[in-house]
Amino acid sequence: MQNAIEIEHLKKYYGEVKAVDDISFTVKQGEFFAFLGVNGAGKSTTISILCGKEQSDGGTVRIEGLGQENLDEVKKRLGVVFQDCVLDRPLSVYDNLRYRAALYGITGQAFEETLKELCALFDLTPILKRPVDKLSGGQRRRIDIARALLHRPNILILDEPTTGLDPQTRKSVWEIVHRLRKERNMTVFLTTHYMEEAADADNVVIIDSGKILANATPLELKNRYTGDFITFYNAEEEELKALGMPYEKVGKTYRIEVANTEKATELVLKYPKIFRDFEITKGKMDDVFLAVTGRRLEQ
Amino acid sequence: MKLYMLVRRNIKLFFKDKSLCISALIAPLILLFLFIAFLGNVYKDSLRSSLGEFPVSDTLVNGFAAGWLISSLIAVCAVSIAFTANLTMVQDKIMGRANDLAVAPVKNSTLALGYYLSTAIVTALVSYIALFAGFIYIAIAGWNLSVSDVLLTVLDTFLLVLFGTALSSIVCRFLKSQGGITAVEVVVSAAYGFLCGAYMPISSLAKGLQDVLTFLPGTYGTSLLHEHLMGGAIDAIGADGAPAELLKGVRDGFDCNLYFFDHAVPEWVSYLVLSLTVLALVGVFVAICILAAKKHKKK
Repeated sequence: MQNAIEIEHLKKYYGEVKAVDDISFTVKQGEFFAFLGVNGAGKSTTISILCGKEQSDGGTVRIEGLGQENLDEVKKRLGVVFQDCVLDRPLSVYDNLRYRAALYGITGQAFEETLKELCALFDLTPILKRPVDKLSGGQRRRIDIARALLHRPNILILDEPTTGLDPQTRKSVWEIVHRLRKERNMTVFLTTHYMEEAADADNVVIIDSGKILANATPLELKNRYTGDFITFYNAEEEELKALGMPYEKVGKTYRIEVANTEKATELVLKYPKIFRDFEITKGKMDDVFLAVTGRRLEQ
Repeated sequence: MKLYMLVRRNIKLFFKDKSLCISALIAPLILLFLFIAFLGNVYKDSLRSSLGEFPVSDTLVNGFAAGWLISSLIAVCAVSIAFTANLTMVQDKIMGRANDLAVAPVKNSTLALGYYLSTAIVTALVSYIALFAGFIYIAIAGWNLSVSDVLLTVLDTFLLVLFGTALSSIVCRFLKSQGGITAVEVVVSAAYGFLCGAYMPISSLAKGLQDVLTFLPGTYGTSLLHEHLMGGAIDAIGADGAPAELLKGVRDGFDCNLYFFDHAVPEWVSYLVLSLTVLALVGVFVAICILAAKKHKKK
């Protein structure tokens, strides 16, 4: 699999502040990549350099093999969805899409064909003539994403795309993104505050204070940074005490943490009577993030 | 095509903002009303006083005063409306839409020209509406304009629009808030009319100040408008038998003749100064936009 994004020894300093401090990672073509960090960790600066909005102070960034000297070509291969809606709110959905498409040289019949495709994908036909400021947050987000996809980019950068959206809309946004990823083999580069979104990623990089602290698949991260959790249903507290391990009561259930699945299996075999109704789960990405950075992501 | 679509987008954004649009259209009408209500008689008396004992008809005096008021109105509007029209550029920065434009494959010079041309078109449209209303007022007061006067006034307005747009574009390029542009608009509306000789003739100011003001290109545009909207009335007074010396005194007193350190400035020089200033200011604006984008990247 080819690399869609290659970042090597990237640096960006604002005076004394090292916003991005010698980071290196790659994103494979067609990969769903999650870039995690608290506010000010260096995510947005990295994205700004990727998009050509800012220049680095060192290191290299290559998009599908192209360096920043081919910025116009790089920009054509990227679609960017910003955290805040950047649509022209007084204008109609149609105008927003038409003016944006023109910046990529898509006009006339070519635009109408692209529009047809996007209307089918995002269900835009009923709202095409409506001004953006009369639409709901979820509808606006769909248009933001549609606009980023007008020129059929190979790489879609999503900067906290579902912040502030209701669960139903978040779900529908992700359904569309994942469908596109499969159909077009599109690379998705995501920054998010929602850890469950990152859990679906092929690869995760955690950045803090401009440095990369972890780079692995969600499963590897969970195995490395969190243990397994055993949840007991219909168990008595006295039985849990017999295990001689710390436990916590979660609603009507009890939960204990073990180092790994092997340890869990040992306990099952050792105390079969207690393990009548139970569940073994991996740690969550929240736990990974906490273990790696020492803090939780604000949601 | 990119430039054309950017211009269309910017113009549409301006006219979709009803409050902005109405304020731009109402401002010249309010100014016209205030001029007529408070200053009309002042300039009529001033002309009669300049002519001394020479008898002159009320129609000629009214036509002359109307020419002064309308030329002053257009001179101020061409600049102040440009500041209002340039709000689209400032709002793009405030609303984050500039970020979105920055990731599209569009040259900074194209973006800059897009803002310049759209502001110029909007300003020209409003200024010509004001000029049309002005012609109606002059026709009611006393019409002494020849076809060439009308055509040259249209040309003067066009050049002043280009000048006002270039000046406002440079100033607005540095503004980052709605409050900033409001403050600048207030200062410009109040001060520019005095600086360009619209509110009161430059010839009535102290000699030193007169010399300083002749370094400001707007003065040349205002003087051209004064000559083309009042010259017909002055010529008509001459046709009634007023001595040439008396007419020269009127032309000097009301800035139809402009002097650069006691040297009379021919009309073609005024056009040249105004045209070169427009070219220089547009060049400066485009250069600022390109440099600002580069600086932002390195920041």
